[in-house]
Amino acid sequence: MLDALTTKERSVGPTRTLAPGDLLARVAGARQTGALVVKGHPGGAVYVLEGRVLYAESPAAPGVGELLTSSGRLAGRTWQSALDLGTSTARVGRLLVEQGHLTQGELELCVLGATYDAAYFVLSDDAAPAEFLAGAMHWLGPVVHIDAAAVEREVRRRIQLLDEIFPNPRIDVAPVIPVTRPPRERVTVTAPQWEVLVHADGQRTPADLAQLLGRAGYAIIAELRRMAAAGLIEPPETKAPEGPEFVRLPHPRGASVPVSRSAPAGSVPASPASASPVPADSAPASPVPVISGPEPAARNPPPVGDPPPAPPPPGDGNAGMNRPPRLARRKPGAKLPKEFAGESPPAHQGADEVLLKRIRTALRALR
Amino acid sequence: MPGVDHCLQEAMTIPGAVGASIVDYTTGFPVATTGAAPNSDHEAAAAGTAEVVQAANSRSLFVSAVPHDLLEDLIITTAGGYHLLRMVQTEFDSRLVLYVWLDRVRGNLAVARRQMQRLADDLVAR
Repeated sequence: MLDALTTKERSVGPTRTLAPGDLLARVAGARQTGALVVKGHPGGAVYVLEGRVLYAESPAAPGVGELLTSSGRLAGRTWQSALDLGTSTARVGRLLVEQGHLTQGELELCVLGATYDAAYFVLSDDAAPAEFLAGAMHWLGPVVHIDAAAVEREVRRRIQLLDEIFPNPRIDVAPVIPVTRPPRERVTVTAPQWEVLVHADGQRTPADLAQLLGRAGYAIIAELRRMAAAGLIEPPETKAPEGPEFVRLPHPRGASVPVSRSAPAGSVPASPASASPVPADSAPASPVPVISGPEPAARNPPPVGDPPPAPPPPGDGNAGMNRPPRLARRKPGAKLPKEFAGESPPAHQGADEVLLKRIRTALRALR
Repeated sequence: MPGVDHCLQEAMTIPGAVGASIVDYTTGFPVATTGAAPNSDHEAAAAGTAEVVQAANSRSLFVSAVPHDLLEDLIITTAGGYHLLRMVQTEFDSRLVLYVWLDRVRGNLAVARRQMQRLADDLVAR
């Protein structure tokens, strides 16, 4: 599949359609300097200096700043003043060491950890669109220099590790819902698993939890896969991406919603196809099966005979049936799904928590 | 300023040291390496190291029997060598362990353990 994708993309030509990993290899081979920016669901960027990886960041992985401040290692204001002073000259990292806030060892270990963590999210999706911004530099400045091939190799190894634990990549992006009743009498959880379970409110995604707890995104996902294997968290519904996003809103309330939703999934044929491991792609595609659902219902009657056509025209006329009314009412607002399905719901669920934390950090910096 | 590389260079000055590395034990990834590794493969050694640490942390009852009684060292002796693992306690989130491989004849377990303790502390101390 990877080969098929890359060959197809190569035939298109320009570098920006290359898989992120391939583009990184090419950039490293040419010893270029700049940022490899990857769009898509988690997305992110890898910063390269003369072909060596300096840093990587992704919304799904806490960055150096989040790791240092959420753990209390650095006060918010210390971090903020280093940012203010060093951002323009790209030497935030060096400043923190020079001012005695961190040891060189701590800084290097933190940057290495954050870089490999983010690299997993940036580079693991081969289908994500990537482009290279030559000359871009990260404000952290050069702290470590990592071989690009080593980063790519480690990303592949981490993907494989996760699949060995429990092969369901949807767990990595779906909101975390602990099961209400454990599947056996005696349950053993590790300290990191406990942390995740206690903070999972049914809405927070693994990325939200990683930012909230200041823990590596990959570590959170690995624990989630383990807990999924042990039956401690609800398996993400495979139909979720194909369902219209606005039905998601009541979903966080509990397990009763998925049950009711499994019934209206008349578009079953669409679910296996869209149950691919790429939620980003399946989300925009979601409105299609949804709209096609009501349409056949509306179209079928006219050919059948005269009596049925009378109800359909207004659209509300379908109200007599069980499901059509719902779907028909949505049809006029067909623009809505586009807005909702723009991947925003997964990103915003529990985002308040992250936002609040940022505000708190900022306030602390002012104190 | 002692950075990661400096720490490993120092580790290699421990009497009998053959190789050293810093391993992320959640992923089994060698963050930094120097010298030799068992079977000349630092990555495989790191993966094995991670499994040993995780087993000790999560599957042996004598670790964490008392609250806040955290794992410090793991020492494995073989006929030909000593393998020392020292947890690196950072305040920020990371799960790292310093690994040093010692030659059995030239190495001194007590000395090596003391020096690793100092190295791991220096790496992250203010």
